[in-house]
This record gives sequence, structure tokens and C-alpha cells, in this order.
Amino acid sequence: MRLSTIKYFIKEGFAGLKKNMLMTVASMIAVAACITIMSFSYCVVTNLQYMLNQMEDSIGIAVFLKGDLTSDEITRIQNQIKGLDHVLDASYVSPDDALDQLKDEWGAEEDIFVGLDGENNPLSHSFKIELEDITYQDQVLQELQNIDGIENMNYAKTETEVLLKASNAFRIVGILVMLILGVISVMIIVNTIKISVVNRRIEINIMKYVGATDWFIRWPFLIEGVIIGLVGALIPTLIGWPLYAKTVSLFYEYLPIIQNLAQFKASGDIYSVLLPLSLAFGVALGVIGSVTSIRKHLRV
Amino acid sequence: MIRLINVGKTYPNGSKGVENINLHIKKGEFVFIVGSSGSGKSTLIKLLLKELDPTEGTIIINKVKTTELSRKGIPYLRRNLGVVFQDFRLLPNKTVYENVAFAMRVIEAPSRIIRRNVPAVLALVGLGKKGKSYPNQLSGGEQQRTALARAIVNNPPILICDEPTGNLDPETAWGIMQLLDDINKRGTTIVMATHARDIVDAMQKRVVTLKHGNIVKDVEKGGYSDEA
Repeated sequence: MRLSTIKYFIKEGFAGLKKNMLMTVASMIAVAACITIMSFSYCVVTNLQYMLNQMEDSIGIAVFLKGDLTSDEITRIQNQIKGLDHVLDASYVSPDDALDQLKDEWGAEEDIFVGLDGENNPLSHSFKIELEDITYQDQVLQELQNIDGIENMNYAKTETEVLLKASNAFRIVGILVMLILGVISVMIIVNTIKISVVNRRIEINIMKYVGATDWFIRWPFLIEGVIIGLVGALIPTLIGWPLYAKTVSLFYEYLPIIQNLAQFKASGDIYSVLLPLSLAFGVALGVIGSVTSIRKHLRV
Repeated sequence: MIRLINVGKTYPNGSKGVENINLHIKKGEFVFIVGSSGSGKSTLIKLLLKELDPTEGTIIINKVKTTELSRKGIPYLRRNLGVVFQDFRLLPNKTVYENVAFAMRVIEAPSRIIRRNVPAVLALVGLGKKGKSYPNQLSGGEQQRTALARAIVNNPPILICDEPTGNLDPETAWGIMQLLDDINKRGTTIVMATHARDIVDAMQKRVVTLKHGNIVKDVEKGGYSDEA
């Protein structure tokens, strides 16, 4: 393609946007709305995921063994657990260690444990299991049940379930809303460009008669769509970025307790993914819009 | 140059545009297609431009069977065909120069060639000094000259004119006809649909007469047929 042709396409694309200013702005707002919802869903889902990962360490699975096992058998069980899929580590906790931990936790009242040392320790041998990802908890629990020598297991069922459910629900709702808004944006963009196409029908007609290829005619409209998509995507991203950072700092300020539970993802980390994602999504909306609106008019 | 073999066009509503057309136009010819409205002139022009496809028969233009041409091939076929319409079809927001240059830009001609050819063609059609005017600042004849300049700027071997003098007064129309004759003498094949009797009579070129979609007369050098 010649440089002069590219210049011509860009000039024509911008001319089209200017001629239909009102619809151009409407389309940009539609794209911006769509991208805003997408960004919001992304922030919520990513943060829930991020917090879940942080909590994994504290949640984990504790496995308690039957009392009458030899040290060989304990090592065998440990190896079996480590061999399971999605298990990062299984660290051994002896009854003595467990008792020390209890004493630490009870602090001043550790007197109640007097006489339970050594031979009299009623606690079992146990393992602390670390998972790759909390979502695998159910699967690992299932497999643990097949291992001989395990008496019972302790795991934070409710916390995990709530967080997982919330994360999944947000993801599904987010995707649904995005789909609906995506269709609406495409429809508005299609209309904008359709008006532009109708206004330039004679021009397209003449272009066809003098032997312009379909792509030659399409390019200016495509550029129109891409610009609508880019601007529509940039606005919510540029507003959203500082807004997110501010929201997180407000959370920490007014709900300091939240910091003990989990940290939010840094705005830089969120937007280093969200910025290119939004731009790509915006451009895709614009391109789909322009391609569908011009198709009919090319059949001359 | 142009060959139509047993060409017929029946529209989806059942009405017949043209029927059993056999026509051979040689390189460099000047051919009038005459007939009253509804005789099939417009259908024939549209078939030549591949704006319509025939329901029967074969059309060959410049050695290409256009009836077998895919959609992708149409632009390249049309680059061999200059077109002039009764209503000029100029772009109102572009100057005369830009209207003509537009036809070259569309086929991605280099800017250098555009800058060289457009003024030359404008001079040829007698609009050398009107390059910066807009269509609404021109007379009908000047607008048609601009359209003509646009049609020939890419140097197509064939020029198709659909009632090019239909909107012009006789004197202006005659000016356009002389221009077409000049272009024809430079080797361009011209097919012109018209129902302007005086022009056809005066030019003494080949005349193909259509009636109810059929060719009823084809005269090598003649005037407007009374059968039309």
C-alpha cells in the first residue's frame, strides 16, 4: 500500500468522524460504558483471586494421623500426600510441636497443659498441606480420603467456599454484563458508521464504478471504528486507574483491619493487564461495528 | 473488445430486461444504443458494468468472460471501463481537480502521476482553468466535462456513457459529443446509450436499436431508427 493511500485513508476516516460528531460521541460513550463494566469486573475478580491466594497459607489443610503408626508409615503417608496433584508441600508436625503451638496460642493459660508432655501427649501426628491453588481443595480432600492411616482432616470449608463462590459469581455476572453491553456498543457503532456510509453513498458508488476494491472503500470506515474504539477504551482506563488506587488507599485508611486479612492488588499490576486488554477490546468493538455496517453498501 | 452472446436478463419479479442479445463491438468503434425508455438500454449498460449479472448467456469484455468473474475481480474489470452518467455524479464537497484525482487515487496511482495526468485531462476536456472550482460553481456542460475527465483519466480502453447529454441543452450537448468523438479518435471504444435523435443523426456512427429488450436493428453508419 502506498504512503499517499494510507494518508488518504486516515484523512477520510477523521473526516467521517467529524461529519457525524454526535453519533461519534455516542459510540465512544457506549464503548466507554462497556469497558468500564469490564474493568470493574476484572478488578473485583482479580482481587478476590489475589486474596484467596494470600489466604491459602493460613487456610491450607491439616491432616491428623491415627495414633498407632510407625515412623516408616508416617514417612510413607507424607510421600503419598506430596505425590498428589496440586499439593505443593506437606510438612510434618509431631505431637510435641503441636503441643508447643497450643501452649503458644493459649499463652498465660498454658498451665492447663501441664502433665500432657511426652508419653502422655494426647495429640496426633499431623501434616500441614500447602496447595497450589485453593480451588483444588475439594479435589485434594477427595484423594486424601483414599490414603490409609489418616484419621481426620481439618480445613476451612466455609471461608474458601464463600470466597470461591463470590469470585465465580462476579466472573459470570461480569461476563454477562459485558456481553450485553458489547452488543449494545456494536449496535451504536454500527449506526454511527451507517450514517456515515449513507452520507457517502454516492462517493462509495463512484468509487465502485472507477474500480476501487472493497478494501480500499472499507479502510476509512475501519479507521473510524478503530478511533471510536480506542478513545472509548482510553477514557475509562485513564479515569479508572487513579480511581482504583484511591479506592484501595481509602479501604486501608478506614478499614485497617482488612490489611490483616489480605492485601489488594497494586493498581500498576491491575492496569498493566487491563490497559492493553481494554484497548484491544475497544478496537475489536470498533472494527466489528464498522465492518458490519458497510457490508451491505459494498454490493454495487 | 465487447461481445455479448445470447444474453438475457429476467428480473426476480419476472419482467424481462433484455432477451437474446448478440452484439459484437470492435476495438475503436463508436456505438449508439438507442431505444425508448423501457427498451432495455439501462439493463444493457448495467450488464456491461457488471452491476447486474445476466440470467442467460455470456459477456466478454477485453477478453475476460465477465459472467464468470468473481466479486473480487469486478474492480479490475471496471478499471477498463470509464463511465459517464446522465446525472454527472460528482462529489459536491470536492473541487474539479479532486473529483478527477479521486478516480486515480482509488486505483492507487502514485501522487506524482496524479499531479501530472489530472491537469492534462482537464485541459483536454476544456476545463484547464476550472480545477479549483466546486461542482455547484459549474454549468451543466462543465460538470459533465468534469465527469468525462474522471472517466478517462485512467485511460480505459472502453468508455460507457449512459445518456450523457440527457440533462444538457442542445448546444452544450453538442460540445460533449465533439469531445467524445475526439476521445474515440484517440482509440477509445465508446458505447453510448441515448434517445437524443438529433445527435445520433448528426454523428453518423453505428446504431444499435433496442425494443422490448431485443435488438431490432443494427446499422453500421446511420441515424436514429424509427423502429425505436
